[in-house]
Amino acid sequence: MQNDIRRTVLIVDDELINREMLGYIVSEDYSVMYAENGKQALDILKNGDKISLVLLDLIMPEMDGFELLDIIHNDDELKRIPVIVLTSEKTAEVKSLQHGAADFIPKPYDMPDVIRARVMRSIELAEDNNIIRATEFDTLTGLYTREFFLEYAREFDEFNPDMSKDLFVININRFHLVNELYGREFGNKILAMIAEHLKAITAEHRGIACRYEADIFYIYSKSQEKCEELLNEHIKMLENDKDGSKISLRIGIYRNVDKNIDIEQRIDRAVSAEKTIHNNYKTAFAFYDTKLHEHEVYSEKLLLELDRAISENQFKVYYQPKYDITNNEPKLCSAEALIRWQHPEYGMISPGVFIPLFEENGCIKRIDSFVWNKVAEQIKKWQGRYSRTIPVSVNVSRIDICDPELESELLSIVKNNEIDISSMFLEITESAYSEDSDMILETVKRLRDDGFKVEMDDFGSGYSSLNMLTEMPIDVLKLDMKFIRNICTNEKDRRMMELMIDIADFLNVPVVAEGVEHKEQYELLKKSGCDIIQGYYFSKPVPLEEFDKIVEKELM
Amino acid sequence: MTIDDLRDYGANVDEGLTRCLNNKDFYIKLVNMAIADNKIEQLEKQINESNFEAAFETAHTIKGMYANLALTPISAPASEITELLRNKVDTDYTELLDRLKTAKRKLDELA
Repeated sequence: MQNDIRRTVLIVDDELINREMLGYIVSEDYSVMYAENGKQALDILKNGDKISLVLLDLIMPEMDGFELLDIIHNDDELKRIPVIVLTSEKTAEVKSLQHGAADFIPKPYDMPDVIRARVMRSIELAEDNNIIRATEFDTLTGLYTREFFLEYAREFDEFNPDMSKDLFVININRFHLVNELYGREFGNKILAMIAEHLKAITAEHRGIACRYEADIFYIYSKSQEKCEELLNEHIKMLENDKDGSKISLRIGIYRNVDKNIDIEQRIDRAVSAEKTIHNNYKTAFAFYDTKLHEHEVYSEKLLLELDRAISENQFKVYYQPKYDITNNEPKLCSAEALIRWQHPEYGMISPGVFIPLFEENGCIKRIDSFVWNKVAEQIKKWQGRYSRTIPVSVNVSRIDICDPELESELLSIVKNNEIDISSMFLEITESAYSEDSDMILETVKRLRDDGFKVEMDDFGSGYSSLNMLTEMPIDVLKLDMKFIRNICTNEKDRRMMELMIDIADFLNVPVVAEGVEHKEQYELLKKSGCDIIQGYYFSKPVPLEEFDKIVEKELM
Repeated sequence: MTIDDLRDYGANVDEGLTRCLNNKDFYIKLVNMAIADNKIEQLEKQINESNFEAAFETAHTIKGMYANLALTPISAPASEITELLRNKVDTDYTELLDRLKTAKRKLDELA
C-alpha cells in the first residue's frame, strides 16, 4: 500500500457466513465494516465514515447490489469510492462493470491472496485517480491547471501532427483593481465567467484551455481562419453582461505555431505579443508576427552577447560635462557618465534599447558595475594628471538598490581606487523611490551616511508626494528632461520648472537641469535659479579623449 | 466436530480451509453457523407456496454460502435447484429438496 493509513472496507452481503469469511480475509490489511443490504450500506456511506472500498453482493433484500451501484455511481461524492462486486453469475460480471463497478470477485471466493490483491489494486487505482483529478483541474474555473495543460498540449500535437494550431494568452486588464474595487468574490465570478467562454470556444473548435495563474488563461486550439471574429463574438457577450462589462481583456495571439519549438516557447511568443498591448482600456488583440519575432531575436542576441561585449570592451563610458551657472561665467564642475555600446555588427546601440532589456532580466547590475569601476579609475587618473578632483555622476538602477551587496561593492570600488567618496555621485531615478520607498530610503540613507552624494534623477517624472520629498535623503535634484524641452514655448512647463526649483530651494539642495539645448533655455533656467546645467548647449556626451580636451581647455 | 469429520462428510476441506486462511477453528465456527441456519426450511416453505421468486433468492443464497464453505453435498443440489428456479421451471422439487435436507441432516449430526 502507498502509505500506512489503515483504510476501511465495507462488506455488503445479506449472508452472515459470507460476510464473516470475506471480512476475515481482508481484515489483515483493512478495518472492516459490515452491512446486510444496500440500504444499510448507503447509511454507512452517507454517515461520513471514510470508506476506501465497497465489497458488494448483488442479490439482497431491501436494496440490491445494482440499485446501490447506481446510487453510488451517480453521487458526486460517493462515486470516488471503488466498488467490487461479489457474484457467482457470469452474466452479472459485465453488467456490474457497466454499472460502474471497479472489479468483481467470483463466488465461491477465489484464493484469499487473489481477493486481497484485487482489493488493494482497486483502492490504489481509485486513490491515484482522485489525486490526479484533484490536480488536473483548477478548482475555481474547472479549466486545466498549468502542468496538465502543457502535458495535454503535447498530446494534442502528437495525435494531430498535421493540424495547424493557434496559441492564445488571455489576460484581464488591471485585475488586481477589479478585485480591490468589487471584491474578491466578484473577481472570482469574472474568472469563472471567462473560463466558461473559453470552454465553449475549445469545445466548438477543438482545443484545450487552462488557467495559468491568477487572471492569465491559455488556449491551444485548432487554427481558425476567423479566430479574431470568433473571439470578438465571445467578447461581445462578455461586454453585454452586467458584470463582464466591468473588465477588459488583452489577448496575445500566436497563429500557426511553429512546430519546431516546444509548447512553452510557443506560449512565450503569445505572451510577448500580449505584452505589447499592456493596459489598453478596450479589449485588444496583438499578434505575434515577424517584426516582433525579429525584435525578440535581436534582444535575445544582445543578452547572450553581454559577457563577450564586456570582455571585448565593446561598452564605452561617455562623459557629458555639467556646468555650474551660479556665477557670471558658466564653469565646468562635473560630468555624468553614460554607457554606450559599440557593437561590431549593429554599430552604436542606444542605451534606450539595451538598458530596459538588461533591467528586465537583471543583467543591468553588471553594466552599472562596469561603469562604476571605469569611472572610479578615471577620477583617480584625473587626480594624478590634473591634480584635482572632477566628480562624476553614475547611474544606480532601481534593480541595483535591491542588491544587498550594493553598499559594500560601491565602498570597495571607492577604496580600491583611492578616490574621495564624495567624488562619485549616485543618480537614482525618482520613480524608483515610489516603488518600494521604505527600502530605498533606507539604502539611500546608508549610502549618504557613508559619504556618497545622492542625486534624484528625472525629478518630476515620478509621483513623489511633497510629504515624501521632505523626508527624502538627497543631495541634488535633477530635473526631468521632458520639462526642460518646452520651457520656452509652454507656459505650463515653465511654471512647473520654477516650481521644482522652489522645491529644491525648500529642500536646500542644488538643482541640475539636463537636456538643455538652446541659449534661451539656458538663460531662463539661470534666471529661475537653476544651479547646474547639462546638455547639448554646452556639450553632448563625448568619449573620454574628447572630455579630457574639454577639461584641459576649461580648467587648466 | 473435526476437520476429518468434515472430510468424511464429503466437504472439500482444503478449499474451505484456504478461504479461512487455514484457520481450522474459524472454519469450524463458520460451519457451525451454517448448521444453525434455517434457510433450507425457508426454501422448502417458499417452494411449497409456489413463491418461486423468493425461493430463487433463498436457493441462490444457500448455494453461495455452502459453496464458500466447500460443503459440496449441500451446495451441489442447492446449485441445481437455483438453476431450475432461475429459469422458473415448474417441476417437482421434492427429490432435490430431499437430497438437500438429507445432506443438511447429516451435517447437523456432526455438530
